[in-house]
Amino acid sequence: MANVRIDPGLCNGCGICVKSCPADVIRMDPETDKAVIQYPQECVICCWCFVECPEDAVLILPEIKTSPLFTSWG
Amino acid sequence: MKHSSRENRLEADVLVIGGGIAGCFAAIKASEQGAEVILVDKGYVGKSGQTPYARSFMAFNPDWGHNLDVWMDYINKTSEYVNNRYWTKVTIRESYARYQDLVSWGVHFRTDQDGQPIRSSMPPGVTDLLLIDDKTKGEYALILRKQAVRSEVKILDRITITELLKQDGRIVGAVGMPPDSYDLYTFIATATILCVGACGFKPAGYPPIVQLTADGEAMAYRAGAEILGKEFVDTHSTRMDTPIGIPNMLGRNKDVPDDLKVLIGPGRGKPEIDAEGDKIPDRPADASHYGYTYLERELIAHAGRAPITTPTPDGDKEVVGGACLGMSLRKADGIWPADNNCGSSLPGLYAAGDALGNMQNGAVYALSGSAIAGGAVTGTIAGVAAAKEALQMEKLTVEQKEIARAKGVVFAPIERQGGFSPRWVTQLLQNTMMPYFISYIKKADRLQAALTVVEFIQEHLVPKLFAGDPHELRLAHETKNMVLNAEMRLRSALFRTESRGNHYREDYPRRDDPIWLAWTKIKEEQGKMTLIKVPVPKEWWPDLSTPYQQRYPFRFPGE
Repeated sequence: MANVRIDPGLCNGCGICVKSCPADVIRMDPETDKAVIQYPQECVICCWCFVECPEDAVLILPEIKTSPLFTSWG
Repeated sequence: MKHSSRENRLEADVLVIGGGIAGCFAAIKASEQGAEVILVDKGYVGKSGQTPYARSFMAFNPDWGHNLDVWMDYINKTSEYVNNRYWTKVTIRESYARYQDLVSWGVHFRTDQDGQPIRSSMPPGVTDLLLIDDKTKGEYALILRKQAVRSEVKILDRITITELLKQDGRIVGAVGMPPDSYDLYTFIATATILCVGACGFKPAGYPPIVQLTADGEAMAYRAGAEILGKEFVDTHSTRMDTPIGIPNMLGRNKDVPDDLKVLIGPGRGKPEIDAEGDKIPDRPADASHYGYTYLERELIAHAGRAPITTPTPDGDKEVVGGACLGMSLRKADGIWPADNNCGSSLPGLYAAGDALGNMQNGAVYALSGSAIAGGAVTGTIAGVAAAKEALQMEKLTVEQKEIARAKGVVFAPIERQGGFSPRWVTQLLQNTMMPYFISYIKKADRLQAALTVVEFIQEHLVPKLFAGDPHELRLAHETKNMVLNAEMRLRSALFRTESRGNHYREDYPRRDDPIWLAWTKIKEEQGKMTLIKVPVPKEWWPDLSTPYQQRYPFRFPGE
């Protein structure tokens, strides 16, 4: 799970982030025609949405680096 | 039905499931044969799976001085003699033609001043790979999509295929659903090609495989197909602060802001040092040259010499295992190839790419860039063969009762009032399989303990998975398929009572020739998961008169 936001003021509603997300985290809000983070639990910080957004509306908050990974040892 | 669903029915000669490099090649080549082709993907063709992350492509070309025997001898030995030499040879031989296809479709490779492709010898002095140009890195998967569109392939994005259709013993298509409605998509096809990629348990340390949840294998297994065993684990590691895969993606087509630079993780590729200050040892030169994608880190952790760190400009960073949890070495699990056309043991069903368990690399990673080349090669073979078969056959009609059965399977989790959430069951599965002493450093008692838990999950939790919306319905099917993958992995690991390549058993630390010059095949018989040992053909055995130490330069602990 990651801390990802979409700035509705910058989002142009193109939907490229919805198509790009491999984990089905992002949806279009039918009322505003803007992208929204619908299922943050599934985000794996792959950064596709950030890379693809033409308006730089996707904000990945840096504190994600503190998200613990469950690892093979520790 | 608790929820209404609209039914969409589509027909094709060839249905390709999964749109990475194998799926795009399969679809394009089938279409070029004159077949009507549908390509369906859980995500978006050109952006899904591991394909967009690839940076190199193995290519064999005698005009560059390459010698097939040299390549084969190298792979046969480093793979510890359980590579399938037929498929290794086919992958090598046909790799250059597939590279030429990519170039003709618009993919750019790095070239020197004379316009010749820059070749990167990997391992040094043995084989060659070509580097995808930075300008098209990541974009090259979209070039595959464009070529599929040009070839009149009909593409459907964001449809998760959940169940194959079977009639009179033949696979006749599949059903699936979108992530945002209860619509049912029914695909009727004379031939179906599974190109669904590798199998993982959604490990947080490797985002490229978040979608790859063994859906294809699980569907094929339930339909009666044979699966290649899963004992040779993928051992990619990750960094606690920067999951691998992200550096390939970030910074691809825009600058990375300062506060995200931490995700790129400076200092990759530097030496890794254990807690006692020793560098992770290299393997003997004749054992392999392929970096650290073996069990070395796990062995160090098991010996109590973790944490393992790597130096970066920001200080030492910790390296941990389990990045690709649930995944085998590429092509070391998947649909068992029953013929030389990528056909499965079920009529009408083919597989290609990582979904095909053709053992091109054997028990360890022997070659860099071979996974993506193997996807292109097997995609081409499967696409041509499936199209030829489909074009010779009458169009199929599928009985409604089979479609109704599959529909029942698709929507079962939303019909339940309650039970267990797929997110919780997935986490339970990850926690069961992740410890290094279960999936990587193996022993019968621990494998059996994990199997007992996974069997309970299989018998008591999976039948009660419930979903509250279409998104969770997809999660429920993914979870069901991952649990089946876990059972296959544990049973395969228990079955192979020896150590070889990336399969290490503490209780059987030696290679056991010729008893285990063999592959493991899995199939359902009378409702039970059954494992079958299939000997490697004798003509592919190493010379058993050479001393063990020469056959196997790498020593496992405890040998």
